Amino acid sequence: MPTLIKADAGGFVTVEDTFTVLEDDAPDPGGDVIVSLARFLSGDGDLAAGRSGRLGVRLAPEDDVEALEGRLEGVSTVAVEFPKFRDGRGFTAARLLRTRLGFRGEVRAVGDVLRDQAGFMVRCGFDAFIPADGAGPAEWAEAAGRHRHVYQRAADGRAPAFAERQGG
Amino acid sequence: MYRYDAVDRAVLADRTAEFRDQVRRRLAGELTEDQFKPLRLMNGLYLQLHAYMLRVAVPYGSLSPVQMRGLADIARRFDRGYGHFTTRTNIQFNWIRLAEAPDILDALAAVDLHAIQTSGNCIRNVTADPYAGAAADELEDPRVWCEAIRQWSSLHPEFSFLPRKFKIAVTASPHDRTAARVHDIGLLLRRGRDGGTGFEVIVGGGMGRTPHVGPTIRSYLPAERLFSYLEAILRVYNRHGRRDNIYKARIKILVSALGAEAFAREVEAEWEKIGTEGDVPAAEIERIRAAFTNPDFLADPSTGDFEARRAAEPAFARFVRNNLKAHVRPGYGIVDISLKGIGETPGDISADQMDVVADLAERFGQGDIRATHEQNLVLPHVRLEHVHEVWKALDAAGLATPNINLISDIIACPGLDYCALANARAICVAQDIARRFEAPEKAEAIGELKIKISGCINACGHHHVGHIGILGVDKKGEEFYQLTLGGSGAEDAAVGKILGPALPIDRVTDAVDAIVGAYLRERRDGERFLDTLRRTGDAPFKEAVYADAH
Amino acid sequence: MRALTANRLSDGEVVFWRAGAWVERLSDAEIFSEEAPAAEAEAAARAQPTVVIDPYLIDLVESAGFWAPVSYRERIRALGPSNHEHHGKQAEGGGAVEALRQAHGAARSSGRVNLIRRK
Repeated sequence: MPTLIKADAGGFVTVEDTFTVLEDDAPDPGGDVIVSLARFLSGDGDLAAGRSGRLGVRLAPEDDVEALEGRLEGVSTVAVEFPKFRDGRGFTAARLLRTRLGFRGEVRAVGDVLRDQAGFMVRCGFDAFIPADGAGPAEWAEAAGRHRHVYQRAADGRAPAFAERQGG
Repeated sequence: MYRYDAVDRAVLADRTAEFRDQVRRRLAGELTEDQFKPLRLMNGLYLQLHAYMLRVAVPYGSLSPVQMRGLADIARRFDRGYGHFTTRTNIQFNWIRLAEAPDILDALAAVDLHAIQTSGNCIRNVTADPYAGAAADELEDPRVWCEAIRQWSSLHPEFSFLPRKFKIAVTASPHDRTAARVHDIGLLLRRGRDGGTGFEVIVGGGMGRTPHVGPTIRSYLPAERLFSYLEAILRVYNRHGRRDNIYKARIKILVSALGAEAFAREVEAEWEKIGTEGDVPAAEIERIRAAFTNPDFLADPSTGDFEARRAAEPAFARFVRNNLKAHVRPGYGIVDISLKGIGETPGDISADQMDVVADLAERFGQGDIRATHEQNLVLPHVRLEHVHEVWKALDAAGLATPNINLISDIIACPGLDYCALANARAICVAQDIARRFEAPEKAEAIGELKIKISGCINACGHHHVGHIGILGVDKKGEEFYQLTLGGSGAEDAAVGKILGPALPIDRVTDAVDAIVGAYLRERRDGERFLDTLRRTGDAPFKEAVYADAH
Repeated sequence: MRALTANRLSDGEVVFWRAGAWVERLSDAEIFSEEAPAAEAEAAARAQPTVVIDPYLIDLVESAGFWAPVSYRERIRALGPSNHEHHGKQAEGGGAVEALRQAHGAARSSGRVNLIRRK
């Protein structure tokens, strides 16, 4: 079973990834599945209703994350795709999932995911990663924790420099 | 000036350590060039024709003497004793070794400088009015907002992988010295009806392949709401800007595709959702503002023998006419330092010259140095009593060319002499034109005339907004140059119109000469080149350049 | 005739292929008259991503008894910037440098062989 790096108690650990990514025309094998936003929104009721496994939604870069507003109950994970690591739309998707849609489940980064973006990803609210560069939890933790200070508010609740300076 | 505190310094130190590790991984083969390139670019490191080039940020064009000496030190230790100021008010070093780049970043950090976000598809160095804090006509010091934007945009977790690069300009004066309307965002400081401070917000200007003068999407944004509004603009752009074609990825394409009104509606809708959570607290803005108050001005200082020397020494008088500008305080002046010595490379400055400028700023200029987008430097606060001494010292260092805004004050990108993207050289064209108009009487008689030269369509030399723009093109492997007339990067921003077929390199200076000749024949009293051109249209100029080709 | 060129990873220096190694002067470069060995060298160079960046073949013409790149861009790479005569490879002077300076006849701007031109 493939592995995934998960944020855990301030650090990162490797866990087994129990999810199967389901193509739009593939039958539901049961268990934990991740489906596209389109399939999720199409009201494929069988997916959620009476499901013993967990459900995840896959967001492509062009997908409108706000289409999930009010529909995230019962969703365990949202997998945000990075087709190329230079495509930064996923950062906005994750941040809005956390701050605007109030999603508390897992937000995972999938695709061309490099440790050099770990810090940005954590700040935008990602808490699970499938790195494409072979990084393990130790490398991930080092990259994500590199900066002692940040200048902006984001989805991670860290106090920006201006708050630190005001002693807050 | 703003001074870094422990937080700012820690950010630089952490970033430098990160880059050192990335360079190590690249040299060890753990990162491919494809993976490494965007990482090195976000630290300002390019591979050019002959070597690596490091582009160091000069945040909103502001430098202290200590920083200038730090740059001189880097030029000597890691380069070949010189640097090149760019149209983005940054400085580039042309002969850098990859393995030494992390050491250079450490040396920069030691004087609170860095190369963060001087390239890559992120928010770049903010452009400010180089006369900020000194200009007689400004509403308030725009650098307060520039510094706040610098911090907000540095290592922004959401906006570091935009569709394309992103440039913001801030000015607080009716005379736009930042080319705000050809930036991705132009912020023009305005006084509100209630007496408050705000910004006119321009979005979607730009040069490059498809030049646009940006439209205003909001006529008045209360200043305290700036950052939530910037977040809204950037988020709309990050989500909807094109990523399928590098030439259509700038925000100007999105704004013009949607139309300015529809784009503005999207931004306003997003802005409403963000709310004040996206704003920087007033206390932080006040902390930054305190750093920009100049406590050292004398109430009404003596001007010494300034007037007498000006009357007695024609060369000094010429320098004063062209390179000294009105200061908001009586008894002070703004001294422009030309990096356009006749026959020199526009924007280039030697390490020794950097030291001279640093010393003068320290002794006579309240420790304040600015870089301009026209590739010159400024000492913004010099007492008139000291201008003569400053002039003598600049002159001895080859830095007193009295040509600001004149025909030999030419912008030129590095072009094919250095740049991997260029199609043609730009430097030698600038040098040749400057030599033709070397006689200062001649240049002064012509008056304000801005020539801007780019070696390729990326337009780093701002040719679209040159009164005379010159674009290097490649015609079957030969260097050819296309001329445009009537561009302006000032408050009357305009994109120049192509005059006619491109010319071979050896005809460019003659063509400029012919254009100037036509202007001198056509002009009426008091008209600048641009005024005459706008009145007559380009027919007389076309005739002058291409007549013998018929 | 062709030569194989690249920029060295560690310092960005323009380098030329010579029998499996890299040299800094075009006048020391291996000159290919046949397709096959040129392509072979290029493939071998591409297998050295920690030594050089982006190796490619360039076309050459004869100039004053030396080989010079067809394209202007490649001549600047082989010489140095034209605004600083003492910077870059041109600084050492001599017949080979002079021949590059005198060379004419650019057939295409990049001089890169097999280049797909962006349009």
